[in-house]
Amino acid sequence: MVERQSPEPLSPLEPEFHVGSHGNFEHGVEIILTETRPGSIVQLAAWPGEEKKLIAAIRTVTGLALPDGAGGGLSDGVKSVFGFAPGKFTVADEAEGLAAAFAKVVTPAIGTVTDLSHGRTAIRIAGPKAEWVLAKFFAIDFALPAFPTGAGRSTTHHDVFAQIQRTGADQFDIYVFRSFARSFWKALCHASEEVGYEVQ
Amino acid sequence: MSPRRADTGGRIDRLKTIRFTFDGTAYTGHAGDTLASALLAKGVTLYGRSFKYHRPRGLLTAGVEEPNALVTVLKGEVREPNIPATMVEIHDGLVAISQNRFPSLAWDINAVNQLGGKILSAGFYYKTFMGPVFGPLKGTRFWMFCEHFIRRAAGLGSAGSAKDPARYGRMNAFCDVLVVGSGPAGLMAAKAAADQGARVMLADLEPLFGGSANWSEETIDGAPAADWARRTVAQLAGRDNVRLLPRTTVWGYYDNNTLAALERVSDHKDQPVKGEPRHRYWAIRAKSVVLATGAFERPLVFPGNDRPGVMLAHAAERYANEFGVLPGERIALFTNNDSAYRAAVALKKAGAAVVAIADVRPELSPEMRKLASEAEAEIFAGHAVVATEGGKALSGLKLQRFDMTNGALIGDARSIHADCLLMSGGWSPTIHLASQAGAKAEWNAARQAFLPPKPAQSWIGAGAFTGSFSTAEAIAEGRTAGIAAAGGQSTPSVLPVVEAVPGDPDPAPVFEIRAKGKSFVDFQHDVTAEDVRLAHREGFVSVEHLKRYTTLGMATDQGKSSNVPGLAIMAEALGKPIPEVGTTRFRPPFAPVSIGSLAAERFGDLKPERLTPMHDWHLANGATMYSAGLWYRPMIYGHAGETVEQAYVREAKATRESAGIVDVSTLGKIAVQGPDAAAFLDRVYTNMFSTLAVGKARYGLMLREDGLAFDDGTTWRLGEQDFLMTTTTANAGKVMQHLEYFLDVIWPELKVHVTSVTDEWAGAAIGGPKARQILAACVTGTSVDNAALPFMGIVRGEISGVPVMICRLSFSGEMAFEVYSGAGHGTHVWEALVEAGKPFGLVTYGLEALGTMRIEKGHVTGAEIDGRTTARDLHLDWMLSKKKPFIGSAMMDREGLIASDRLELVGLIALDNRPFNGGAHIVEEVDEANPHGSIGHITACCYSPALGRHIALALVKGGKARQGTRAHVSDPLRNRFGPVEIVSNHFFDPDGSRMHG
Repeated sequence: MVERQSPEPLSPLEPEFHVGSHGNFEHGVEIILTETRPGSIVQLAAWPGEEKKLIAAIRTVTGLALPDGAGGGLSDGVKSVFGFAPGKFTVADEAEGLAAAFAKVVTPAIGTVTDLSHGRTAIRIAGPKAEWVLAKFFAIDFALPAFPTGAGRSTTHHDVFAQIQRTGADQFDIYVFRSFARSFWKALCHASEEVGYEVQ
Repeated sequence: MSPRRADTGGRIDRLKTIRFTFDGTAYTGHAGDTLASALLAKGVTLYGRSFKYHRPRGLLTAGVEEPNALVTVLKGEVREPNIPATMVEIHDGLVAISQNRFPSLAWDINAVNQLGGKILSAGFYYKTFMGPVFGPLKGTRFWMFCEHFIRRAAGLGSAGSAKDPARYGRMNAFCDVLVVGSGPAGLMAAKAAADQGARVMLADLEPLFGGSANWSEETIDGAPAADWARRTVAQLAGRDNVRLLPRTTVWGYYDNNTLAALERVSDHKDQPVKGEPRHRYWAIRAKSVVLATGAFERPLVFPGNDRPGVMLAHAAERYANEFGVLPGERIALFTNNDSAYRAAVALKKAGAAVVAIADVRPELSPEMRKLASEAEAEIFAGHAVVATEGGKALSGLKLQRFDMTNGALIGDARSIHADCLLMSGGWSPTIHLASQAGAKAEWNAARQAFLPPKPAQSWIGAGAFTGSFSTAEAIAEGRTAGIAAAGGQSTPSVLPVVEAVPGDPDPAPVFEIRAKGKSFVDFQHDVTAEDVRLAHREGFVSVEHLKRYTTLGMATDQGKSSNVPGLAIMAEALGKPIPEVGTTRFRPPFAPVSIGSLAAERFGDLKPERLTPMHDWHLANGATMYSAGLWYRPMIYGHAGETVEQAYVREAKATRESAGIVDVSTLGKIAVQGPDAAAFLDRVYTNMFSTLAVGKARYGLMLREDGLAFDDGTTWRLGEQDFLMTTTTANAGKVMQHLEYFLDVIWPELKVHVTSVTDEWAGAAIGGPKARQILAACVTGTSVDNAALPFMGIVRGEISGVPVMICRLSFSGEMAFEVYSGAGHGTHVWEALVEAGKPFGLVTYGLEALGTMRIEKGHVTGAEIDGRTTARDLHLDWMLSKKKPFIGSAMMDREGLIASDRLELVGLIALDNRPFNGGAHIVEEVDEANPHGSIGHITACCYSPALGRHIALALVKGGKARQGTRAHVSDPLRNRFGPVEIVSNHFFDPDGSRMHG
């Protein structure tokens, strides 16, 4: 995609995005659901042997120094990056234009840049029961020692492919395909009813 | 307080009264009661009717192994049958009914079956319905005649057909140590593992943790065992690294230490709280497992052992100590081991009169004699129960001297008046999960039981599960197991001190008392000792065959109480020792599992919905949506009063006359990037892509490796190393897998990345004679004239401030353009195009019109690329490059794939001007009454507004050569027969003049 100087993109969640508190409040609201709506979501992929150069390029563009190793990641609250497969990374930024910025530093000899700013929807789940609700969906160990802050995972829920980054002790950002986002969102709300949730 | 309820004791809360009904009668119980204990407290002795003979049955046990007291629980219109009353926690408003009886539990007409004992023995169905001839009825026909009556008379509860409104959930869990069972061994294991810092899960099928500590009346460290259990549980509950799962049955042990469990979350509540599931299925991945599942007490097999009032000894002890309920007032015991004596003392303490203890062993230890004396019970050593008396409740029993060395009964029988007979035939460790996990159980002659096999997966046993029946052993083994499971080293430690009633854990090797009368082995399936011997006489020597012929151990309780006695009787009949006869392998589930919990939240259509960026616009503008795989697409935008056919005909006609716009966002889109992207596409497609100029698109065809057609679509070259591949909607995932497979496995040396970008782009295809004018009216930043945007050209511009990519290509056969924008801007661009099109008569059209126009053009889709057709069959052989190899090129010229009689794509015109149906056959013979000799079939059909005819695409043998000839369509299922003309598949504008402009 070219850089955006255009109307605000529509959220795929819109008709099902009901701001307010829902579900069982026996123990208060234990889940906060939001759509983070980053301005840019980019996928980077390095050719075998070029991973370190790509990690350096990520640092150049975002200032985030990734740890070496699969699944590692970082988030500074504005920009986020995590590895989701060998040599492959998802990068998100509140600002637009990330793909164009990477296109300047990720040369064809290092790897490829794919703009997914429209193609992925970022949903944030936070709160003391975030691990509990996510465990209903994914066969992933969400405990902090097994899934440290900043780290990312690729997985699926039924037919919905998802990338998940832990962006806080009890906070996760989930990237799903836009076309599945509303369906996934509804399922997430449904699963959160048990513990009480608030949509912000 | 009821006559059977003690004033004190047990875990129940006497201050809280619960009201429920059983078979329409109102009862009360207390919080903490099971349905079984609450009814027992009210003096209820009759709980169910047996499977085959409809014999009256009472409570045999107090736990999950209960075979007799199965009930149906009603919640509104929903009925759940076959739940052991021992596992139903009462709550206000509980409605339970008995089952397998008519008209009532007390007066069951099918009790007449008891008179047909010989006929209804093992193998009844085989002998009755596969053998003799009764007049005109024999074999299957006789079965069909009898089936209705048999199904009414035999069986368990009946399932309902009402939709279950309850919610079910699923949970994935990971832990270092899963402890199954929360008796002293399990609690100690969980504590020891947690102390090591391990992440621990503790699951128990009972609502209260503690297992035997809840009812044993032993002391641990000077306090009642139940108090020790409460303290230990409280400690565990306060730790962050422990998850406690009460009411959770671990029912399956699978590979890689994956275990399945069912948590009964809200069955015990009047109403679940909002969002709370009824059941929750846990998929648990445990690094290590501690199996502390305890043991089941075995019944003894003797005549009348199923009469209501005959109960397992430990069950009575549980009812007395855990629920404060006495199962009878005059209680007798019959045992082959020491454990029953503890029950005698407990019941005496609870207020019952223990009138007799019959023990098959001639010599009893001084400790047992002391316990019997404490219970004020008369001892009958070397005696056996040979009969019971009473109807729907026990009134007495008969004892006779018994020689356990040869099973002989000696002398005269002696009657004893009792309203409850407790029996104990020894204990069988609950090895089900270990058996599921792998190896074969091993017989232990001393314990007269199958003990757990050597672990095949990462589990450790502890307590009664291993055959260590004392609490002290359980605590020691639990600690060792917990530490080992957590990966720690066990060091000497001061263990809790247990004070327990003494006893020898080894029973006498007596399973059956052979006397006159029906002696039941499997209570739930009405299998008697004589059935087992009959099976042996009829040649069934394998334990697996025995099981299937007699149905021993095949009911919902899966033989928890019957397996070992059944095997022992079989072994005796065979004259072999039990280990030589062996045992059957336990399989999941350990206890019945609700289907709802397995489906969990995945119900209804079972699939998530996949929506295009313009979905809400379509709905708001009158579209009838159509499910296409996971996608939802507009079928038509119908006007008031229009039929589907009228709508699509209008839409297609308007498109050909002016312009139409359709949402094509669902097309698969794959970014193919990298220095070798062009070379890769040359290998993937049958035609050349490396020669494609940047800013141009090309139609491509892919074959499978076997040479058959796979998928088609256009691929756009956006840069030297940057391609945007489009696929059919249906095959997007398959094509992606196909590409990834070849890149990962076959050509890893190619520097190519493929990424699904289907969701990145919204796509709108606008076609028709006025399409270019509409674009020109709303696109800025680029010209869209023929020079700037020739056929298969690509330009970038803006529509209403949104960046767009426009490619001139056509599926409808009209001058057409695909407009791609970022998905979040899809609706914005769509609305701008629709607005710009208004002065030109632009219509929105759906899949039906899209399909109509592609049929008119003779374009293929998945209906023709059906996995059986080749490029030549579809007249796409012009796309098979001779300059390069490609996937499928080595196999596409096989003899069978180039035969002249293959099915080839043709067009059909209905000469009777009646509609076609997809799948209808094409025949040459004019014989409507006997259609035969199919030469092909219809793949797609429509009414063509352009031709004014009903037309179809079809695959017909040697189709191309048949063009211009006539045949018949034959569709007997839909009563359609009529003449057709076989023509070219290119019905409309065959030279493409409209498309090229």
